[in-house]
This record gives sequence, structure tokens and C-alpha cells, in this order.
Amino acid sequence: MGEKRFMKGNEAIAEAAVRGGCRFFAGYPITPQNEIPEYFSWRLPEVGGAYVQGESEIASVNMVYGAAAMGTRAMTSSSGPGISLKAEGISYLAAAALPAVIVNISRGGPGLGSIQPAQSDYLQATKALGHGGFHAMVFAPNSAQEAVDVLYDAWDYAERDRNPVLVLMDGCLGNIMEEVELPPMKELKDEDLPEWSLTRRNGRDWQGNITPIYTELILEGINAAAGDMYKDWEENDVKVEEFMLEDAEYVVVAYGIASRVAKEAILNLREKGFKVGMIRPITLFPFPKKSIKNLDYGKVKGVIDIEMTIPAQMRDDITLQVMERCPVYEYGRSGGCLLDDEGVYEAIYEIVSGGE
Amino acid sequence: MKQSFVFSGSGGQGIMSAGITLAQAAIDMGKHATYLPEYGPEQRGGSAKCTVVISDEPIISPLPKFCDNLIVMNELAFAKYGEDVKEGGILLSNACRIADPGEPENVTVISAPVDDLALEVGNPKTANIILIGILIGATDIVSEDAFRLSLEEKFKAKKPEILEMNLRALAKGLEIGKKYKK
Amino acid sequence: MAEYKRSTLIADAPSGYCPGCLHSLATRLVSDVIEELGQGDNSLNVISVGCSALNILYWNGDFLSVAHGRAPAAATGIKRTNPERLVFAYQGDGDLAAIGLAEIMSAANRGENFTVIFANNQTYGMTGGQMAPTTLIGQKTTTTIYGRDPATTGYPMKMCELISTLEAPVYVARFALNSPKGVNDARKGIKKAFQLQMQGKGFTFVELLTNCPTNWHMTPLQTLDYMNTNTIPYFKPGVYKDTEVDEA
Repeated sequence: MGEKRFMKGNEAIAEAAVRGGCRFFAGYPITPQNEIPEYFSWRLPEVGGAYVQGESEIASVNMVYGAAAMGTRAMTSSSGPGISLKAEGISYLAAAALPAVIVNISRGGPGLGSIQPAQSDYLQATKALGHGGFHAMVFAPNSAQEAVDVLYDAWDYAERDRNPVLVLMDGCLGNIMEEVELPPMKELKDEDLPEWSLTRRNGRDWQGNITPIYTELILEGINAAAGDMYKDWEENDVKVEEFMLEDAEYVVVAYGIASRVAKEAILNLREKGFKVGMIRPITLFPFPKKSIKNLDYGKVKGVIDIEMTIPAQMRDDITLQVMERCPVYEYGRSGGCLLDDEGVYEAIYEIVSGGE
Repeated sequence: MKQSFVFSGSGGQGIMSAGITLAQAAIDMGKHATYLPEYGPEQRGGSAKCTVVISDEPIISPLPKFCDNLIVMNELAFAKYGEDVKEGGILLSNACRIADPGEPENVTVISAPVDDLALEVGNPKTANIILIGILIGATDIVSEDAFRLSLEEKFKAKKPEILEMNLRALAKGLEIGKKYKK
Repeated sequence: MAEYKRSTLIADAPSGYCPGCLHSLATRLVSDVIEELGQGDNSLNVISVGCSALNILYWNGDFLSVAHGRAPAAATGIKRTNPERLVFAYQGDGDLAAIGLAEIMSAANRGENFTVIFANNQTYGMTGGQMAPTTLIGQKTTTTIYGRDPATTGYPMKMCELISTLEAPVYVARFALNSPKGVNDARKGIKKAFQLQMQGKGFTFVELLTNCPTNWHMTPLQTLDYMNTNTIPYFKPGVYKDTEVDEA
């Protein structure tokens, strides 16, 4: 039994990261994620880690790059505008094969957008987190508790793959307070530091070098290996929640905060006799293609993409798997206007009751 | 049982702390709770809103539009959210800022001079406890004794004078709320 | 008289620098000092972007190659998590004084306990000789073909002068590598900077005035004269900040 606390999502993220072994954080203030750096600023020194408030998002992600090269579990966080600035550093992390965790507590966009929550960064997260055609695993927890679970294990994925991991949440989940159960502190020893890291605490006595620049033939090989890694993720690392699909005639696809509002609506619609189910991607990359592809389209009359952004950004990924076997609908709120139970219920109701 | 609360007003009116305190009290009683704040960009004086859901079961959505208990602390909040209270619910309105909360059908309207009551208690910051007192008095969402105990635990050791003030605020709220108990 | 031999921190491979380029001398000075201090295995070179990146090909010690201008940020992450390492960033003028201005000033201002070696040759060498923030007034480059005009491009940025206004840095100095005396002074300055870092004193900054025969369109010897007549009068060598001395 772990330790239960009533915590803000952002603070739960930071505490779970510390318990998962994070010992370095650099970040720059931006709403709605400020509690993450604020928490790390006092918490990391308590466990022998280091916190730096960077002069910019760019500097912060590059500080993480430096710490990660030493084998330290390192993290940065931001919101959309700041993640854009970090794009350079995230691309370099991927190029240099450095593990790190980046958290995006997203808000309305584009540009400075709004400071209110929105799921506006799906495309950035899953398609082009930076230049050069790389991917990171993208986790999209839908509660403070699931954020804790994801953060706790995020470096295990990052170190396994020597690749950055992105956790995408929105301002609602960053700022929500709910009960979480915290796992015990992972005890990491110096000798367990990655053998490739530039630290010498792991006993390494040979020249170490890490670089994000290569000659063309080597780079081609690295690109190909990355492609293979993405395929492996699709086979082995997809995380998805499938909810009430057995008899579903309509299937909602929603992640993060939208999935919670949608689930509430689905339960209410079920009470009225409508057969609605849900596929909730927990990993947005790798995307749970098979869950959507293998639906029984003899039964399923429609797939409904619900996102807290307009236009829906996940829709193309869904459509590619539906393959015109049924219509794909979308509903959302955007710009910092929040989804709500009644609005989502009405939207789904309108689709599933159509013609009746 | 599941109950939702929307607290709305402007920054500095104790909106957020009322929401957190209520949610925390529910957690302390072994219930499930979510607290979701919404801020404007201003650090002071901007619009403030928070949504609290309390339930015996794990909470799925923290984002109801229509709530069982709507607390409006100024005209702006009333204009924006005034109609978002469910039938059979409670509209708790700050009489010092909202002249006429109307008589919505099947809604219990509690119009209380929260600002003045807080001044009577001795500090405008006690408005949040008065609000919670009214809600506890009018509903069964958290027990009076348990909430009093959680206040005692929080303030007894370090700030006995604040505890004493909060207990007076709670009593004032309870006195009003209980009149509306069904 | 010391025996002349190759530094063990420099690989037995062509440097990649153009003939007559003082970058290789600068790198050599750094490696010599690190060896002298017995820090070969403990040193970590944070390699920036520009001609300085050619270090990747022939630096034999531990190194981390980083994004353009970000070396002081990456070095911050390294040193904060591994304070026992001797960490230095090796940056050129475009990298440090243009795209990386925020990173260098902020690292200096935080008093990060590492050393920055700044090779200032007043041009973007690797990309073909464009105007740098340190390009002299009137100096011709591929983006100032009639010479740098302060009316539209401002003035050459004096980094030692800027950094020495900050409270935190403990040692800030500039040396010119176009004379034996300058080279000897530079060696002492680099050594002092590294020693201060090893003592945990804080941020140290050593600027080395270098040349670019290729993009200045001069012979190596002409560049050394040009430095005497043009570069050095504007970028005056000297110790700009030395808290040990200042406090004495």
C-alpha cells in the first residue's frame, strides 16, 4: 500500500518523477505548469538532486541534455509555447540518443493562445516534436494517479530506448487536485548508471563521447534503427483502455481529460439504452491502431473523436484505421473553453440518436 | 451519493480556498473528491472559479457544467454561471454583491451577506469557511464534526487565533445553512 | 626545456582546421593545461557548433557535442549533477556572442563552476565567412561585402567587458594568440581558470583572439599582423576580472 495524498496533478507529477529517480530538473515559468518547477525547486535538493531555473525554455532543455548525458534521470516541463522552444533540444536528445522526460501541460493555441487548458498539441507531440523526423513515446494519462504511474516508469522507457519520452497532459489535469497513491522511492545506485553515460561514477575508464552530429552513412543507419524502434513500440508498448466495446454500436475515441468527460457521458447514455463504448489511447505514440482497426464494423455504426481542441487533431490517425467502414464524427471545445459533461453528452446523443 | 459544487467570484474572495478546503474535508472523511480551479490571467482580482465533485465512488469526470451547489460571490459570476445549477440544487448567493439572485424553479436559494459576516467574524478571509459552513448546514456532504476536527488539526498547534476565528465563521455559516436543511 | 610531444587529449588525426588557423593552437593550449593539471580523464569538453565542432574529430578526452549556442546550458546540467568533473565549454564567437548570448550571460551570472574558452575570430568560419557579432567595423564578410557598417549592424560585441560587469564570475580574461607572449599568457590564464574551477570558486571565462586566414582572405602571417593593427586595438587583451586579486 503506497502513500495516499490529495495532490495537485502538477505536484503529483513532480513527486512521482522524484520517486522514479529524477535527480535533475530545469525549466522556465509558464502557465499552467508552474507547480512542477516550483515543487522540484525544493524537493530535488532534499534527495541530493539539482534544480535550475533556466533563462529560457531552450536553455532548460539543453541543461537536461547535459545532465542526461551524465546518466542522470533528468526532466523538463512546459506548456505549448515553451515546448515549441524546446523543440530544438528535444530533437538533439533524440539525435544524441539521450533519455529524458519532457512534460507538456498544454493550453489553448496557436501562439501565446490562452492560458486555459486545451488539448492543442496532439499533432506536435505525435508527428513533429522537433525537426528531423524522429518520434518520442507519448503518454497521455487521464488522471493525477495515472500521471504518477506514468512518470514513475517514464525513465525506464527512456533509458531502454535511449530516447526522450513525452508526457502530454492538459491544464485541467495539471491543476486538478485528486487523491493519488504514491509509490516508494526507487533506489538508484551509481554503478547502475548507464554504461554509455559520460559520468565516471559507473566505473567507466574509456573515452566517452556523445554527439548529435554524424557522417551521412552512419546517420542513415541511425535513422533506420529508429524506424525499427518505432515499429517495436507499436508491437509491444501500446497502452490503451477499451471500455464497453463488446456490444458497442458507436465508439468514442478520446484521451486525457476528454476521455473522462466522455466516459461519464457514455455511462449516462448506456442508462438510456444507447450502446456506446470508448477506446482511450494512453500512449498517443505508439497509437493504438489495432484497437480501432479491429473493431467489429458489422456492429459499429460510427466512431466519434472527442478532443478539447478544434479542429480535432487525432482524427486522421483514427480515420486511417477506420478505413471508411463507418463515418468518423468529431466534437470538441477549444481555445481554453472546457469540455463539460452535458455538452459531451448532447454531442454524442445527437449522433447516436440520429434518425430515431 | 455524488455532489458537485461550483464556487465562482473574483480572486481574493476565498473561492479557491473554499473549494480546496471542502474537497480536503471530504477526502479526510474517506470520500472521493476532485477540485479543479479555473483562473483568469490576473494574479489578483481577476475572475475565479473552481469545481468540486465529491462522491462515495471514484470520480470519473471532474467537469460537470450543471452543479448541485452553485456558489456565486459577485454579480459577474452570477451573470456567467447563475443558470448552471441543477433542479433540486442550491444557489448560494453573496447578498453583499448580488442584489437579487431571483427565484429559479426547484432551486433552494440562499442569499447570505457573506462579506459582512466575514467582517463580523473579524477577517474578510474567513468568507471561505462561512461558505462551507452554510453548505455543510444545508447538505450532508461532509459532517460538521469532521470538518471542525480538520480545522482544529490544521490550526491548533501553530495558529490558535486563526482556529478560533475560523470556528466562529463556521458557526455563523452553519446557523444560516441549517435553516435550509431539507 | 620541455620535450615537444603530442598531447594525449588530441587524437593522432588531422585537425580539420585550415592551415594557419589558431583554433588548433587554442585547443592545444587547453589540452596541455588539462594534462599538466592531471585532469585528462576527469575533464569533459562541451563542444559547440561552428569550427569549434571540429573538436569532435580529434579531441581524445570525454566530450559532449551540443546545439548551437547552448554549451553553457548543457555544461550547467553536467556540472550540477557531476560537480567533481573538470568541465569546460569551447565556443566560437557566433555561437557564444550571438545565438548563445542568453546562455553564456546567464551561466556566468549564476556563477556556474565551469570554464568557458571563447575563441574569437570575428567571423562565422564554418558557414563560409558571414558577419559575426564580433566582426570589426569595416571588416568585409560575405554578408557585409562593403565592410561592417555600424549604422545597420551595430558594433563588435566585447564579451569580456560584458561578462566582467556581472557579480558572480571569478575570472575573466582575454589573450591574443598571434604572438609567443600572447600564447604564454593565454596558457597561464587557462591554467588559472581551470585551477579556480577545481577549487570550486565559480565561473571562469577565457577569451582567445584567433584568426581566420580562409575567410579573412589573407595568408596566415598577414592575419597575425592584421590582429596587431586591427583586432587587438579594439579587443584589448588583459585580465578583466580576477576576484582573488580584486579582493586582495
